[in-house]
Amino acid sequence: MSKYIEVKNLSVRYNGTPTLKNINFRIEHPSFLVIMGPNGAGKTTLLKAIMGLVPYEGDIRILGKAPKEARNFMGYMPQRDRINTNVPLRVRDVVLMPLLSRRKFGISREEVEQAKRALRFVGLEKLWNRNFLSLSGGQQQRVFLARTLAMDPQVIVLDEPFSATDVATKMKVVSLLHRLKSTKTIILVTHDINPLVECTDKVLLLNREMIAFGRTIEVITEENMELLYGARVPVIRQRDVCYLVGSDTHVHH
Amino acid sequence: MFTINIWVLRGIIAVFLIAIVAATVGSFSVFQRSTFFVSGIAHGSLAGAALGIYLTLYLFPVNPFFTAILFSIFFAVAIGIASHRKEDVDVAIGIMFSFSMSLAILFLAMIKEYASVAWGLIIGDLLLLSSEDIIWMLTTVLLILLFFLLFRRRLLFSIFDPDGAESMGINPYIYETLLFILIALGVVVLLKGVGAILVYALLIVPAAAAKRFTATLEGTLVLSFFISLIAGLGGILLSIFTSVAPSAYAGLIATFIYFLSLLKK
Ligand SMILES: Nc1ncnc2c1ncn2[C@@H]1O[C@H](COP(=O)(O)OP(=O)(O)OP(=O)(O)O)[C@@H](O)[C@H]1O
Ligand SMILES: [Mg+2]
Repeated sequence: MSKYIEVKNLSVRYNGTPTLKNINFRIEHPSFLVIMGPNGAGKTTLLKAIMGLVPYEGDIRILGKAPKEARNFMGYMPQRDRINTNVPLRVRDVVLMPLLSRRKFGISREEVEQAKRALRFVGLEKLWNRNFLSLSGGQQQRVFLARTLAMDPQVIVLDEPFSATDVATKMKVVSLLHRLKSTKTIILVTHDINPLVECTDKVLLLNREMIAFGRTIEVITEENMELLYGARVPVIRQRDVCYLVGSDTHVHH
Repeated sequence: MFTINIWVLRGIIAVFLIAIVAATVGSFSVFQRSTFFVSGIAHGSLAGAALGIYLTLYLFPVNPFFTAILFSIFFAVAIGIASHRKEDVDVAIGIMFSFSMSLAILFLAMIKEYASVAWGLIIGDLLLLSSEDIIWMLTTVLLILLFFLLFRRRLLFSIFDPDGAESMGINPYIYETLLFILIALGVVVLLKGVGAILVYALLIVPAAAAKRFTATLEGTLVLSFFISLIAGLGGILLSIFTSVAPSAYAGLIATFIYFLSLLKK
């Protein structure tokens, strides 16, 4: 089994409109990739291509397999605003959902354990029986993370896992990801790279095409930020770490 | 005396069957927010039933139940395909709605006993069901239950989180279409009992009310069942003492329970 996630000459069109053009990169397994770009840049589209959810041209290999064959060792956490909030579910229903969808009847003690372990991992085991919709946005996000982890995927694909979280929750999730990083590959879309700087191996800047790809310190530069967002974003560098100033209020184009 | 009991008994069986449909198909339609679809399909099946009655009267015998199912499944699949092709789903439903309503009026106009037949389809006849009707309803409900039991988990996953479901190899489009077909079958079960106009009252209103009373999935299903049951049985009971069709009372009870649910929270 190859130890890489590889994207070659990837293009995606929606109804003929080119959305992603000529994307090329390769990361090792395990490693941590952060994808950044303005709204509408095609970040979600790239993740969907990696998950085999949209038709694409080019070649994607996940540890040697095509996306659709790689599904059983990949976990995908969609952007939370795509969830139907009209379904009354408890936290456990949400975490168990992918596990249970694999068969028609019954539920095993092992599955319940797996789900509880994942919920414990994100620090929400007390909410097992709570109404999912009554949780805060940040808590819901962590439940989704638990749901993704409950399947024990090798490759974890997260679309804006911090979009509804406060600083404390964000730091909690970051430290969770830190703990996973030695064994799993994490591909994560965010508008705010600062809390992740220390665990990120590679950064991909995306705006319909690749603006830059490489190690954090090489990619996060003021020139690249201006290319990406079309506006000046100050970058602070400290030895081998770099931070964006004011990236919480991310730049639109 | 005995004959009256048989009619009432059939009515009660029908109300139970309707409650099962409300709990399963009704709840899931509310979750999926496809309740406008339900009224669209109700009119599609009305056209189908009218055609069945016309054919039986003038050409060859065919059970209106059967033509109603054919029509409503046809409309369900057509709407499913249209919305998949990026037509706004409410527009697709609205178009099918107009088309099927026009067809229904046309078919009904060709029937000489126009008024009474039309009346039967529009307000139903819970106390006038034949045993053949009951067998059709029972078979359809068993079919719905079978599909529901087999696919409920994947159905729920696709309704709640289509992207997440798809990433697990579940095609949400197929499950959306399955839900549409189950709605089509469910609507036909209700059409005979409560008529096209009140399908919504006994299929959707119980689930909508139930969802306000409880925060769990199982709770919503169980409560929808009982609200629909109470409305149906209450309708029959009140209808025995007055001469008004049971569907009118059933619809009033269901909406009254919904209003009660508004007081909560
Ligand atoms: N299913 C779709 N059909 C047609 N166009 C789409 C579809 N999904 C996305 N697009 C278009 O593709 C472009 C990229 O969308 P995408 O969701 O990948 O952006 P994004 O970078 O994730 O944005 P955001 O930061 O807002 O999440 C947008 O212009 C969007 O309108
Ligand atoms: Mg996105």
